[in-house]
Amino acid sequence: MLKKTFKRGIHPLHRQGSGKNATKNLPIENYVSDSVVIHMSMNIGAPAVPCVKKGDHVKIGQVIGTAGGFVSVPVHASIAGEVTAVEPIPYLGTGNVTAVTIKNDFSDEWVELHPLGSVENVDPSLVIPAIREAGITGMGGASFPTHVKLTFKEGAVCDTIIVNGAECETHLTADHRLMLENSVRIVDGLRAVMRALIVPKGIIAIEDNKPDAIAAMQKAAAGRIGVQVAVLKTKYPQGGEKQLIEAVSGRQVPSGGLPIDVGVVVLNVGTCAAIADAVIDGMPLVSRVCTVTGCVKEPKNLRIPVGTIVEDMIGACGGFSEDPGKIFFGGAMTGIAIPNIQTPTAKSTNGVVVFNEAESRSKDESPCIRCGKCVAACPIGLNPYQIKVAADASDFAAAEKLHVMDCMLCGSCAYMCPARRWLTPSFRFAKDKIVAERKAAAAKGGSDK
Amino acid sequence: MSEKMKLGKVISNGIVTENPTFRLVLGTCPTLAVTTSAINGLGMGAAATFVLICSNLVISLLRNFIPDKVRIPAFIVVICTFVTMVQLLMQAFIPSLYDALGIFIPLIVVNCIILARAEAFASKNGPVASACDGLGMGIGFTVALVILGSIRELIGNGSIFGMNVLGASYEPMLLIVLASGGFLTYGLMLGLFNLIVKKSEDKKKRKEAEAA
Amino acid sequence: MNLRISTAPHIHHPVTTQRLMIYVLLALLPTTAVGIYAFGLPALMLLAISCVTAVLSEFLWQKIAKKRVLISDCSALVTGLILGLNLPANAPWWLAVIGSAFAVLLVKQLFGGLGDNFLNPAMAARAVLLASWPVHMTSFVLPTFFSGADAVTGATPLATKSAQLMDLFMGNIPGTIGEVSKVAILLGLLILLFTRTITWHIPFTMVASVFVFSWLFGADPVYAILSGGVLFGAVFMATDYVTNPMTASGKMIYAAGIGLIIAVIRQFGAYPEGVTYGILLMNIATPLIDRFLPQKIYGRQKEVKKA
Repeated sequence: MLKKTFKRGIHPLHRQGSGKNATKNLPIENYVSDSVVIHMSMNIGAPAVPCVKKGDHVKIGQVIGTAGGFVSVPVHASIAGEVTAVEPIPYLGTGNVTAVTIKNDFSDEWVELHPLGSVENVDPSLVIPAIREAGITGMGGASFPTHVKLTFKEGAVCDTIIVNGAECETHLTADHRLMLENSVRIVDGLRAVMRALIVPKGIIAIEDNKPDAIAAMQKAAAGRIGVQVAVLKTKYPQGGEKQLIEAVSGRQVPSGGLPIDVGVVVLNVGTCAAIADAVIDGMPLVSRVCTVTGCVKEPKNLRIPVGTIVEDMIGACGGFSEDPGKIFFGGAMTGIAIPNIQTPTAKSTNGVVVFNEAESRSKDESPCIRCGKCVAACPIGLNPYQIKVAADASDFAAAEKLHVMDCMLCGSCAYMCPARRWLTPSFRFAKDKIVAERKAAAAKGGSDK
Repeated sequence: MSEKMKLGKVISNGIVTENPTFRLVLGTCPTLAVTTSAINGLGMGAAATFVLICSNLVISLLRNFIPDKVRIPAFIVVICTFVTMVQLLMQAFIPSLYDALGIFIPLIVVNCIILARAEAFASKNGPVASACDGLGMGIGFTVALVILGSIRELIGNGSIFGMNVLGASYEPMLLIVLASGGFLTYGLMLGLFNLIVKKSEDKKKRKEAEAA
Repeated sequence: MNLRISTAPHIHHPVTTQRLMIYVLLALLPTTAVGIYAFGLPALMLLAISCVTAVLSEFLWQKIAKKRVLISDCSALVTGLILGLNLPANAPWWLAVIGSAFAVLLVKQLFGGLGDNFLNPAMAARAVLLASWPVHMTSFVLPTFFSGADAVTGATPLATKSAQLMDLFMGNIPGTIGEVSKVAILLGLLILLFTRTITWHIPFTMVASVFVFSWLFGADPVYAILSGGVLFGAVFMATDYVTNPMTASGKMIYAAGIGLIIAVIRQFGAYPEGVTYGILLMNIATPLIDRFLPQKIYGRQKEVKKA
């Protein structure tokens, strides 16, 4: 079978099995903590508005935050118990966000659910509203509200839905385990969306380092209309949306465009399973699978209520095995470092990775030796070394001309750089600056009128 | 007193702060071509100095009579006159140097330094100041050529002004007396000169800042 | 608990600049060993002098210019060794000193240090030595290891065109310390390719280009690639990271250009050898190649076609 892939890319931690060996054979364990902190900015777009107050008693699945606009989803209580606080907390360098703290009474009481029935019989027009009400956002990391992704602008036609089971990031095995243990649910979710949007083809794309997941998904997809499994080469960033589309369909999303511009929608496997839960059981998104690995005594794949504190999860894994130097949400290539272990998880937190002191030491930049490894790595085809020179000189106009806005911050160039140059951080800074400038220019243009 | 100070400044200006070779980077063609030995550099510098002083003086005297539209041809005619004089004099009295410098003697006519000083200084200032400017620029040019010529002769031939200094066992570095060696030496000296001037200016600025 | 905050990526490929340079030194090892074995003590002395001078010049410059001292990245050592291997075994010691110092100070440090030099330091220094002391740089000895007798001087087979192909390949010819044994050079190439220090593009394209153009110009193509510094240049000098293009297609254009210049100089020029000038000229063309070669950016392909 011909394995599909994209151009260029890298193999991070290739010899260490991408850091996945510790958890890839461990079944998902359920874990419920004493309390959760659920913040209201779980999605890209407008934050939700809290609708409970201190002292309220909530059940699992009860709406505690209503959607703050179209590009926003409601937030649900992930455990039953008493609301002990509704207050702003600092969160991951994005400033303060409002968060609801719930103390678990372990009654495990659910709100009344409204199942819509089997995915093959459900009224297709009910699927997208159900997805919205269930508070589903992209669970691969970007946390874009799924119902927005599935609402196309006029004239757009989707002919393929790709389910992203590549999991190319290092250390993470959450999607892998989900595909093994919940394969039917994933296909159900895919079918629900295919029926809702009248899409003929659904492709589940999986990297070839997960043969067991490929087999499980092939079994689950057998006999389902229009569903097939595609095997991808193991390469980073195979699970990047643009790369996945190129690998699976051979199409390229135009620069600055969306996948729907080439008739494709990409959904994460976790998102698909959540959609199935929402349609079949009427269940909102209150828990997710999260890999906890690195310097913890027993690395695990945990199913946790949304909002579980990192400290509790580390405790569930037997505590730290070494003094931690750095902890981040997500894989090592794009993960976001967290400032302390009181940080709560979100709907998009697919992993918590703990690095020891030695692993987390930052490296000094040395001069660029023009080796070209960054150019050979860039999945977009940019010239990172040139952009870096422009960004370092604060010449953002030049950086924009070198197409820094096409950079998706995958980190491939910075990973390969033998001089340890801080390529990706520079590009992130340059992109932020350019976006801010554009916004300022747009605001100015608006006021002129 | 103040007049003298000014004239002194005009001269030193040409030698250091506005040295034609190292600061203004003018007249690079003869600089690269003739500095294969110190004596060539000195001869070229002296010839150019003579032409500079005389042409600056004459152009300054004529500055109110030369119509603006034809000033360049007029300058060139004046410069040509003096270059021809120099050429004939050198041919008569120092034929060996004349042979060594060859085409670059008549080419003094189109030397940027001379035309530039005529245009930038002599046509706007009085005769005494112009002559001093010509002298300063000429000395600056000569000094630069002698420095370059000495370095290239020393490394490329083991001698300075024809006197062997490095001994018979020294194996000369041929490259330095070739054209590429000229560029190399010139570039390095250019960098060094500017480094020194910049350092001293920085020091001066710092002192002024401290005084303020 | 103190947690570090930094932006992604949190991991790096284990290969650093220093390790890449060590790979290059490792790849030079067979050539160096054969050179010393073939030419004896004078070769060893020459190599040692040029290495020490290169590292010392870099160290002193970085101290005097108050820059970060980066000699531990081994790049100066590589430059010194390559320059030493480019000298005839009976060259005087001061040739190595001047060459190494010139390479490191003038070609590399004056332009901003590692990564900012636009010419290959060792190549530029060799060109300077060749122009300055042509007699020392072109009087070669036959390897004592093969003749068994005292050193015999001879012209390079490029000038005489008299050597047997097998002798050319094994290294039984007069030449510089590094270029004589093609077997050792090929071993070095394997090391470079195996450690992924370089890709195949430059060495293979350059040799193929010399082969094709020599053949077109009426020379013996096999003799052309085995004689002189073609193989040594293709494996160790044209592949210098700093002075070759960044993209694979750029590298191939660059290498093909070197091959063409070598063939032209050898067939129609006044010099018997053109590797040095071929590499230096294409070094200068590198920024142009990098700049004008069209990029294929994801999602922008149509735009490129329109333009």
